[in-house]
Amino acid sequence: MSESKFYENTEWQETGKTFLDSNELILNMGPQHPSTHGVLRVILKLDGEKVLGTDCVIGYLHRGVEKIAENRTYVQFNPYVDRMDYVAAVSNGLGYCEAVEKLLGVEAPERARYIRVILTELNRLASHQVWLGTHALDIGALTPLFYCFRDREEILKIFEKYCGARLTTHAFRIGGCQYEIYEGFQKEVLDYCDFVLPKIDEYEELLTTNRIWVERTKGVGVLSGAECIELGATGPVLRGSGVKWDLRKAQPYAAYSKFEFDIPIGKNGDTYDRYLVRIEEMRQSVRILRQAASSIPEGPITAKVPKVLRPPAGEIYHSIEAPKGELGYFIVSDGSTQPYRVRVRPPSFVNLQALDKMVRGWLVADVVAVIGTLDIVLGEVDR
Amino acid sequence: MHVLTDYLRSNVTPGEAGDLLWATIYVLLVVAALSVAVMLMTWLERKILAHIQIRYGPMRVGPHGLLQPIADSLKLLLKEDIIPAGADKLVFWLAPVAVVMTAFTTFLVVPFGRTHAVTDINIGILFMLGISSLSVLSIIMGGWASNSHYPLMGALRSSAQMVSYEVPMAMAIVSAILMTSLKTGTGTLSMIRIVESQAVQGRWFIFSFFPLGFLAFVIFGIAMIAETNRAPFDLPEAESELVAGFHTEYSGFRWSLFFLAEYAGMLAVSSIAVTLWLGGWLRPFSNALAGKTWDLAFSLLPALTVFALAGICFLGAVRMPKHPSFKIQTVGLAVFGLFLGAVGLVLLAPQVRERVQDMYWFSVKVAFFMYLYIWYRGTFPRYRFDQLMKIGWKVLLPLSLAVLILTALVGIRQELATVLMGVLR
Amino acid sequence: MSLAPLLRKIFLVDLLKGLKVTLKYQGPKEIVTEQYPLERPAIAERFRGQPRMNVNPETGEPLCIACGLCALACPEKLITVGSERNPETKKKELTAFSYDISRCMFCGLCEEACPSDALELSQDYEMATYSRDELLLNREKLEKGPEPTVYER
Repeated sequence: MSESKFYENTEWQETGKTFLDSNELILNMGPQHPSTHGVLRVILKLDGEKVLGTDCVIGYLHRGVEKIAENRTYVQFNPYVDRMDYVAAVSNGLGYCEAVEKLLGVEAPERARYIRVILTELNRLASHQVWLGTHALDIGALTPLFYCFRDREEILKIFEKYCGARLTTHAFRIGGCQYEIYEGFQKEVLDYCDFVLPKIDEYEELLTTNRIWVERTKGVGVLSGAECIELGATGPVLRGSGVKWDLRKAQPYAAYSKFEFDIPIGKNGDTYDRYLVRIEEMRQSVRILRQAASSIPEGPITAKVPKVLRPPAGEIYHSIEAPKGELGYFIVSDGSTQPYRVRVRPPSFVNLQALDKMVRGWLVADVVAVIGTLDIVLGEVDR
Repeated sequence: MHVLTDYLRSNVTPGEAGDLLWATIYVLLVVAALSVAVMLMTWLERKILAHIQIRYGPMRVGPHGLLQPIADSLKLLLKEDIIPAGADKLVFWLAPVAVVMTAFTTFLVVPFGRTHAVTDINIGILFMLGISSLSVLSIIMGGWASNSHYPLMGALRSSAQMVSYEVPMAMAIVSAILMTSLKTGTGTLSMIRIVESQAVQGRWFIFSFFPLGFLAFVIFGIAMIAETNRAPFDLPEAESELVAGFHTEYSGFRWSLFFLAEYAGMLAVSSIAVTLWLGGWLRPFSNALAGKTWDLAFSLLPALTVFALAGICFLGAVRMPKHPSFKIQTVGLAVFGLFLGAVGLVLLAPQVRERVQDMYWFSVKVAFFMYLYIWYRGTFPRYRFDQLMKIGWKVLLPLSLAVLILTALVGIRQELATVLMGVLR
Repeated sequence: MSLAPLLRKIFLVDLLKGLKVTLKYQGPKEIVTEQYPLERPAIAERFRGQPRMNVNPETGEPLCIACGLCALACPEKLITVGSERNPETKKKELTAFSYDISRCMFCGLCEEACPSDALELSQDYEMATYSRDELLLNREKLEKGPEPTVYER
C-alpha cells in the first residue's frame, strides 16, 4: 500500500470490490478526543479492530511562533518560546537563551548555570509527572493522574516563588538569570527531593508490576534502535530502544558536566521500557537536583550583555535535552536587532512521525497507548 | 385490616403464602428501594472515587454533596429527548425499557431475609441467570437502534464480553449449588433454601472445602465485574477509547434508564455472590459466638450503625465552614442527623430488632461488594478487548471447570464417607 | 517460571499492592483540594499578576516619569504612553497611559524595563470583566487595582 496516498489505493479501489464488501474502515480520531495531549487528528484505516495505517493531521494549534520571531527583538521573543511546550516551559527558555548566547559569544556565569540546571531538572520532573498521569489515564488507571498533579503542584510553587509564574515561566534571560534565588530556595529544593522519591516509588507500586499495566504496555509499539535513528526520534523514545544518547552527556551544556548521573536505557523499545526509562529519569533528576542545590557557587547571575542586542550576522544551531527529546534552535541573524529566522526543532514533531510505524498491526486501543508513550505536546508539534 | 396484619406473623414470603396484596407491596418496596439504592450508589461512587483521587467530590449541592443525586436525576429528566436521524424508533424506545425490565425482574427472588423476598421460586438462581442473559439482547438492541457505528461496535463488544463471562459465572454458581446437598441430601436451586442449607451446615460456602469454595467465590467475583462492564473490564464504555459505548446516542431519561439498569445489575450479581457464598442474611460467627447474649449484641448492631451515621452527620455539621452561606447546609445536615438518630431509636425496639437483623446483614454484605467495585475502578487500568476475552475463555473457564470437578469429587468423597460411617454404626 | 513469581502471579499480589496504595489515600486527611472562594491560595511575592501604577506613598505623586521604556520593551506593543513636556520644570509629565490586558502575556518585561518602580505586576489575579472594553486599562484603573465583585451565595 503506497503510504503517500492514504485515501486512495485502498482495497476496494484496487480489487474492484465495493465499499460495503471490503473489510476496511476509515475512522477518524478527531481533533477533540478525551485522551488529552491536545488537538491532534489521527485518521485510522482499520480492518475490524486491527490498524492498517494511520495518517496524522496536525496544525490545529499553529500560532506562527517562528514568524512572530522575525518581528521581535531577541529579548522580546523570549516569553514566546515558553508557549511552545507549555508543559515544560523552562527547557524551552533554556534552549533559546543558550542559542542566542552562543551567537553573541557570551557565556553565562557559573552561578547562573547552576540555577539553570536546577530549574531545568525540576521542569523535567514536572513534565514526566504530567506524562505519567495522562498516559495512565489513557490506559484506564484513573488515580495516578491526581497523585502526579499533586506532586507537581510543589514544583510549580517553587517556580512561582522564583520567577513569578507557574506555567509560562520566562525564567531565564539572555546572558544568565534575571532573578536572584529567593530566601530558602535551596532548602525547598532539597526538601522537595526528599518528598518526591517515595512518591515515585508509589507510582511504581501502582503500575510497574500491575499485570494489567504490563499486559497493556509490554510489546506494544515496538521501535528498534535503528528505526529510531532513521526517523530522528530522540529522548526517552530513543533511549527506550537501547541507544545510549543523551545530550546532557554527549554535548554537555549549562553545568551538566559537573554532576554525576546515569542515563537509563531500555531493552526492547516497547511502551513498557519507555515507561521504565522515564521513571528512572525522574530518579536521576532528583540525584542531579540534590548535587546542584547543595553546591550553588557564589558570583554574578548574569553576564555583561549590551542593552540592545545586535548579534553579528551568522547562524547557529543549538540543542538541549528537553524532557521530550532533543529540542533544537536554529537562529539566523543578519546583524540587526531582530532575528532573520528562528527555526525550532521540536522533539514531539519528530517523534510523532514514528506513530505510523509503531501502530501498524495493533489494535485501536493501542493507538491511544502509543500516542501517550510518545509524550507529545501539540503546542510543540504545531508551534 | 386482618388481612394486612395476618401476614405480618407468617414466616414465609408473600409469594409462597399466595398473598397477592403483600406480594404487590413487596414488589413496590423492592422497586423503590432499588431506585434509592442506585441514587445512593451514584453519590457514594463519586465521593469514594474522589477520595481515592485525593479530592473532595461533590460538596456544593447539598451538605457534602448529599443532594447531588437529586440534582442529577432532575437534570436528566428535564433534558431534551434527542433521537438520531434514521434510528429505528421502536427499537430505540424499547432498548432502555427492556434493559431496566430485566434488571428489575431479577430482584423478584433476591432474599433479604427469610420472609423478606417477593417470592421464592424453586429454580431461583436459574431464573436470575436467565433474566440477566436477556439484558444482553437489550444492549444489542440499544446499539443497533442508534444508527451509528460507534454504538454498534460498542454494543457488540459489550455483548460479546457479557456472554463469554457468563460461562465461568455459571460454573462457579454450579459448584456452590453442589454444596447445598451435603447435609440435607437434596440440593436446591432456590435462593432461600441455599441460605438455609448454609445455616444447617453451620458454615458459609466460601469456607467449605477450603480452598475450593474460596476459589469459586474469587472466580465469580472476577466474572461478575466483567459481566457488569465495570473496571478493569470496562473497555466498551470507556471514555478515552474510540468507542464511547452502546449508550452514546441516548440522552436524558433514556440514558438514566441504562445507568439505572447497570447499577441494578451490579446489585443483582452482588446479591447472588452474597447469597451463594457469604451466607445471605445470616449473621457472621453464628457458631463460634452463639448464645443469647451474643444474639442480643449482634441484634443491636443495626441501631448502632445508624447511630454512627448520625454521629458522622453531626460531626460534619460541626465542621462546616462558618461562612453565612453555609448556614442552611449546616442546619440541613444536623436535621438529617436527628432523623437518623430517630431511625436508630426505632431500631432499638425489640420487635423491630428481630425482623430487621437479616435485612441489615444482607445489605451490609452487598454494600461491601459495591465498595469493592468502586475501589477497583479507582485502582486498575483497563484491559484491552482481546486480553479481556483471553482471560474469560483461557483462564477463568478452565479454572472454573477444575473447581467444579474438584468440588464434585470432594463432595462425593465426603458423602460416601458419611454413608459408610452410618452403615458401619 | 520460578516459584516466587509464580506464587505472586497466582495470588494476585501485584493487584493487591495497588489496592493498598489507593486504600491509604482514602482518609480525609490526604485531600489537597483548596475550596476556592473560602480558601485563597498563597501567592508568591514575585508573582506576575495584575499590573499596577505605583504612586509615591507620602506625596501621592505618580512615580512614572513618562520615559516610554515600558512601551518599547513590550513584545506585544500594548502599552501607550502619552506625555508632554512641562515648560517650567523641563521634565516630561504623564498625560495618558493605557495598558491593554486582553493581549498581555504577563511576561514581566515592562516591569523590568521601568527605571522608577512605577509599573509593577502585582499579586492580584482576579481580573475578569464583563466586556472587552473594560480590559483596556487607563491610569486610574491601574492605580486603583482590580475591584472584583464579591458574590454572596
